[in-house]
Amino acid sequence: MVDPISISGHDALDEKLTRLSKKPGVKATVVLDRATGAILRTNGQLSNLISTAAAALKSPTDGGSFSSEAGATQNGESHGFEEFTRKVWTWVNASGGLVEEFDTEDELKLLRLRTKKQELVIVPDAKYLLILVHDTPPA
Amino acid sequence: MQSRRDEILAKRAKLAELKRQRELRASQTTGGRPSIGSPGEIVAPTPGRNSRHDIEALINTLVGESRPGSTTGGAGSPGPRGSRPNSVLSAGELSNETSEYAIASAAGQTVAAPPAPPAPPLIMTTIPSTTVFQCPPSPVKEVFSYSKAVQTTGEWATPNRTRAHSLSDSEDLPGVTSTPNKRQSRRERDREEELRQNIRKEVEEELKAAREGPKDGAAQPESQSVNYPLRKLTDEELDAVTASDEFSGFLDKATKVIERALDQEYDVLTDYALQGQDVEDEDEDSGNTGGKGRHRVKEVAQFFDERWTKKRMISSIDFSPHFPELMLASYTKNPTAPHEPDGLVLVWSLGLHDRPEFVFHAQSDVLTAKFSPHHRNLIVGGSYSGQVLLWDTRVKSGAPVQKTPLTGYGHTHPIYSVDIVGTQNANNIISCSTDGVVCGWSMEVFAQPQELLELKAPPAYKIEDVSPTSMAFPQADPTFFLVGSEEGSIFPCHRYDRAGAKAGIDTRFSYKGHTAPVMSVDFHPARGPVDLGDLVLSSSLDWSVRLWKVRAPAATSTAGNEGAVSPLLDFVREDVVYDAKWSPIKPGVFALVDGAGWLELWDITVETEEPVARISPSARKDGRAMLSKSLNKLAWEPTEGKRLATGGIDGTLTVFEVASGLGGRDDLKAEEWTNVKKLVNRVEAVGVNGAMMV
Repeated sequence: MVDPISISGHDALDEKLTRLSKKPGVKATVVLDRATGAILRTNGQLSNLISTAAAALKSPTDGGSFSSEAGATQNGESHGFEEFTRKVWTWVNASGGLVEEFDTEDELKLLRLRTKKQELVIVPDAKYLLILVHDTPPA
Repeated sequence: MQSRRDEILAKRAKLAELKRQRELRASQTTGGRPSIGSPGEIVAPTPGRNSRHDIEALINTLVGESRPGSTTGGAGSPGPRGSRPNSVLSAGELSNETSEYAIASAAGQTVAAPPAPPAPPLIMTTIPSTTVFQCPPSPVKEVFSYSKAVQTTGEWATPNRTRAHSLSDSEDLPGVTSTPNKRQSRRERDREEELRQNIRKEVEEELKAAREGPKDGAAQPESQSVNYPLRKLTDEELDAVTASDEFSGFLDKATKVIERALDQEYDVLTDYALQGQDVEDEDEDSGNTGGKGRHRVKEVAQFFDERWTKKRMISSIDFSPHFPELMLASYTKNPTAPHEPDGLVLVWSLGLHDRPEFVFHAQSDVLTAKFSPHHRNLIVGGSYSGQVLLWDTRVKSGAPVQKTPLTGYGHTHPIYSVDIVGTQNANNIISCSTDGVVCGWSMEVFAQPQELLELKAPPAYKIEDVSPTSMAFPQADPTFFLVGSEEGSIFPCHRYDRAGAKAGIDTRFSYKGHTAPVMSVDFHPARGPVDLGDLVLSSSLDWSVRLWKVRAPAATSTAGNEGAVSPLLDFVREDVVYDAKWSPIKPGVFALVDGAGWLELWDITVETEEPVARISPSARKDGRAMLSKSLNKLAWEPTEGKRLATGGIDGTLTVFEVASGLGGRDDLKAEEWTNVKKLVNRVEAVGVNGAMMV
């Protein structure tokens, strides 16, 4: 048994996220700061969050440079990822605003966004956001 | 826009006209003046005072409307500059102009006189005003009075001599200006102009943006995106955030929620119309099932955690009386992980497959644990060290919130059974350790037991000591209980003295039948039209389960009773039986688990020789092959009676679901109760063999 008694701090946190990402179909998990949208933790494959076609549309300027292709794709990847989190973040905030408009006492608790290809499960909290992307079961 | 331009044009024309007049006058006045300088300046204003007033009034109106007009003062000076369209002046031109003007005045140009330099007035007011407003709390008296004096003279001397825009920065007597101040004043003025210019630019930009707004509305969020995230966190900040308790708490909660969401097997979006061909009858054949028809048993879930349950054994199982999907299992220590807590209680949920909802631990092996029937957050357990433990699901750490001391006051031997008896408002924890000590505890006070009972075997036994391995209370009576002993007998016990019997083991009779340690004792739940509460099941290492009919505790001993009661029925099995439990719903149904890893379901109204169904939990792929099948404990889900859970040596908790013949309320008939009663009566009258012959 390798596990020590107290997997403390980061390991324990990472363990929770890796456990999530080990579930079948899970593509990625992201933890954001609710107020600023800053990325606190990421896990899983980030590249295919936004389909390549969309990414290409997004960054036409990067296309021209062939000199540092690896770097460019890396950049594009992280950019696409940031793009993704930003969009999700704004969407969550919008939903939160909507809920509060209906009832100021109310609060957003869970968001599930099912698409044809995947599902986003989002747990908003007062200070943080946990986003999980997974493939929808074939049905 | 157009109308405004026209207005400006008209005004400009008027202004040009005025300038021409002024030029005329100026040439007249300068004619009489030989030189210019500071004294000249003092005199200068006087001649054209009235007309200047007019001009200034006009300029004011102009200036009031358009900011660029501020330059009119400079432009107002004679010469070619006067024709310059003052409203179009750029910042560069502006500063040029002022410097030109300064040079001009320094050179002693005669024309400079009438439009008194705008600079000096500005400086006289701005400096004092800044000092006043910037350091009002200054305690130095002198400074205060000084600035005040200057301010007042500046402010009130000639308010009507306003030359530029606002009152505050224009009024002054040009003549008072002294030369030493001039340079400073110019700098000051430049700054002022710059400021004005900036403001102008800003306003223009705003206007432009407002005009273009509708067109590039899409661009707006784009520019916002540049700001996202508001700022990147540095590594230290990230560490600080992720190390906070709040963060880990959030993560704990959120991952649990998401796992539950993912574990939901039912897909709400399923369109059954879409897939006609691959309809498989999943219910009938797939999965691990046992029994047939009404007596089918199906495995529905298995709980195992790589970190927590590996190499541990399950020592007890209990379903939550409040939440039908929750169950707990207590575990013994993992001998290969000395740094992990020895004792463990995990609360599992049917909605969360891969991890426990709660993890509770203890310093010693937990041998038994139970949900409190009266409080949904509390869990009571007994440990190998002899402690009674209380956990609270609201406490995050997982450590017991209360535990009894390890002193002579309580238990000093392992506690294999704990129960909570009484009502919502008056209940006690009863614990029983292997040295024969039975303690009653209050939920609030764990420091010492409220009652302590030492069980002693009746005189007929060779050894006085009793080592209880199990304990059971009837539904109706919290003062009477049965204790199964290591030696094989089952003893009736009283918590308090009562007529004909002292507290402790009732010495008048005992239930003899088992020839090996008794592993479990279970009273019939007795919730039906016929009272079957006196039926008791016991399981033992002698490969058998026995059915007993216990005597009413209050009954005074009948004559000729010589202490030994024999069982009604004997269910002989093929291996040691570790646990046997009545179904909470079906009167004739009970389940047992044995050392070979079988879960057997019996219905005594149907068959008393063979189980109606049997099933073995599916083996885990990475589990040990040898000696890992044995099942230690089993528990029924109390409200519906449709599910039961088993656990054993390999630390896996397996949940089964039974068909209508074995559990659930759908198929419940009143005659089942009478059938059981009839069977019991028959067996009592003629013995087992007679019963079988009928």
